[in-house]
Amino acid sequence: MTVLIKEPKEIVEATAGFSQETVRQASAAKDEPAWMLDLRLRAWQTFESLPWPKPTDEDWRRTRLTSFNLDNYTPFATPGGTLGLDELDPILLNALDEMDSSASLLYRDGGVIYSRENQDLKQQGIIFTDLQTAVKQHPELVRRYFMTEAVKPDANKFTALHAALWDTGSFIFVPSNTKVVLPLQAILYQGERVGGYHHTLLVAEEGAEVTVVDDLLGAKNSFQATVVELILKDNAQVRYMNLQDFEHTAWNFLTGSAVMGKDTDLRWIQVSWGSRLTKAFLDLDMRGEGGHGELLGLYFPTRRQHIDHQTLQLHRVPNCFSDLLFNGALKHRARSVYMGIIKVLPGAQKTDAFQRNGNLILDSSARADSIPGLEIEADDVRCTHAATAAQVEDEYVFYLMARGLTRPQAERMIVQGFLQKVLDRVPVESVVHKLEKVIARKISR
Amino acid sequence: MSTLAIQNLHVAIGDTEILKGVDLTLHSGEIHAMMGPNGSGKSTLSYVVAGHPHYKVTQGDILLDGESILDMEADERARTGIFLAFQYPVSIPGVSVANFLRTAVSNVRGYTTKEADSNANGVIGSNLMPMREFRRELNTKMKEFNVDSSFARRYLNEGFSGGEKKRTEVLQMAMLEPKFAILDESDSGLDIDALQVVSDGINKLATEDRGFLLITHYQRILNFVKPDYVSIFFGGRIVKTGGPEVAHMLEERGYNWVEEELVAGIVPA
Repeated sequence: MTVLIKEPKEIVEATAGFSQETVRQASAAKDEPAWMLDLRLRAWQTFESLPWPKPTDEDWRRTRLTSFNLDNYTPFATPGGTLGLDELDPILLNALDEMDSSASLLYRDGGVIYSRENQDLKQQGIIFTDLQTAVKQHPELVRRYFMTEAVKPDANKFTALHAALWDTGSFIFVPSNTKVVLPLQAILYQGERVGGYHHTLLVAEEGAEVTVVDDLLGAKNSFQATVVELILKDNAQVRYMNLQDFEHTAWNFLTGSAVMGKDTDLRWIQVSWGSRLTKAFLDLDMRGEGGHGELLGLYFPTRRQHIDHQTLQLHRVPNCFSDLLFNGALKHRARSVYMGIIKVLPGAQKTDAFQRNGNLILDSSARADSIPGLEIEADDVRCTHAATAAQVEDEYVFYLMARGLTRPQAERMIVQGFLQKVLDRVPVESVVHKLEKVIARKISR
Repeated sequence: MSTLAIQNLHVAIGDTEILKGVDLTLHSGEIHAMMGPNGSGKSTLSYVVAGHPHYKVTQGDILLDGESILDMEADERARTGIFLAFQYPVSIPGVSVANFLRTAVSNVRGYTTKEADSNANGVIGSNLMPMREFRRELNTKMKEFNVDSSFARRYLNEGFSGGEKKRTEVLQMAMLEPKFAILDESDSGLDIDALQVVSDGINKLATEDRGFLLITHYQRILNFVKPDYVSIFFGGRIVKTGGPEVAHMLEERGYNWVEEELVAGIVPA
């Protein structure tokens, strides 16, 4: 059978609203230095030179961009200035107050609308600011780390677009042996029918400790191309949570990478609740010996949502540990894709790596594809992977009902239990409660 | 005083009849031991009384205080006071003993009266027994029934030994305070110490207001838990009922005797 692949051509024609001139406008609106404009323009060239993903690309074989059209969106949003606490939308106020944070930043329409510091971070030399401000106030740091090491503009079509048009974002810099006690919180509420390009750039210097929570909301009928860059110098300890709960009409493209030095310790929680379609590329890049990296994912697509996570655990050096666990539940014709590779380069002996993906299928119309993989070029390693797809066990339901639970209560408890293995490892209690609420909501609807 | 009456119960899976006319009446305060060889249908009987949906009752009835329970789902039966201690309790990942038991106790004791509302808003935790009250009672009963307090936070039966599973079943019974408890081979796979602990638990719970159907393959547990009646179950029905002497008879003569004399002689083929 011949399959006619029509999407790429349509999309190219549809980029009329996006041009080099758009990129210049985006930069000018932010009154940026020339080096950032140059970076954006180079990225735009990259974007134009890269082909759109095709269904024949291995990365995109199971996730099609049919009906995605850049022309449906305003290229970038125009910021409206900051607001007082009492002027904030209740949804945002609620998100802000859910957690005890060291500091919080709230973004909307391409800019910061509210910020607060609950602890004196400057005194410790900690930088937690929006990236637009950081470009001006800390140009040397931003130039050094912004899309140079963890995620480069040419990583894929969407990272190139991101580099050309990035708008909101957080810059987090924690100096050597400095500890941020409470989490740093960033909340994005993206507007309607607009392109969004949120960036998280974290640099944890030697022996630094920090917890960062990104809360991503809104994006009704919009698209978002996020980049997350976590840079851990030797002995740094980072807890990072990316909590994506966009509207179910949003297209969401995420590329994230953690660059891990010697004896670093990272736990990354990736939650994908929202969006109509998500394609996420997530890498752990183990560059220093003794690194310990955990990448934990949760997803629960319903009503035709399509959620695709593609991961890489890259072991370049010996004696590193990486553990990946992605668990998801699915219902209502939803679809999930998990593709993952543990890659062990020659010489990376004593690598200890796990990769597990579990799927709980709640009705037969949902579908989960799981493609785990190993590429091992060293001979003294321990690497294991496992993928499962199962339904709610009738015997579990009967057991709980025989104890007096109603069928919905029993099913809810079993689904929640299935996701609990990841929840148990979420390091911030208020985030756990927030996630539990979403799970309960998704189960009952 | 309550009565659980099983009357001429016939049960099938598909076209295969497994129970072929079971009659048994159990009153509060009684312990009725039911003994029989593997595959005789004892576990099926316990599942059917508890309301397992896979079995089809083709004839007969099960009455609790004169009311049929056959149309009730398993959870409704639990709420009317029927409890089944499973022979093979399932392990449910991520579901902690305390979490599920609080919901179970709340339902059985009637805290969760607005169940529909609770389900509709999707939040586990509405209409539940108050946490402190529940914790206090659970802790007390865990001590009383020799279950380590760490089990409250552990996931149901995950990594539990055979003895720990059976003790947790007894703990659940203690929390749910049923009118009638069916213990399906609660003695199987236990060493003598574990058997002692489980038996002690059963004896503590064997009060005047509670009846027990104790299903077992071996006579051993009856050294610890003294039955009022002993039945022999064979080929999908009860072939003999008597006092504790029946158990001794079985121990001396084995199940072959049952097949040769009782089934061949008394029950027409």
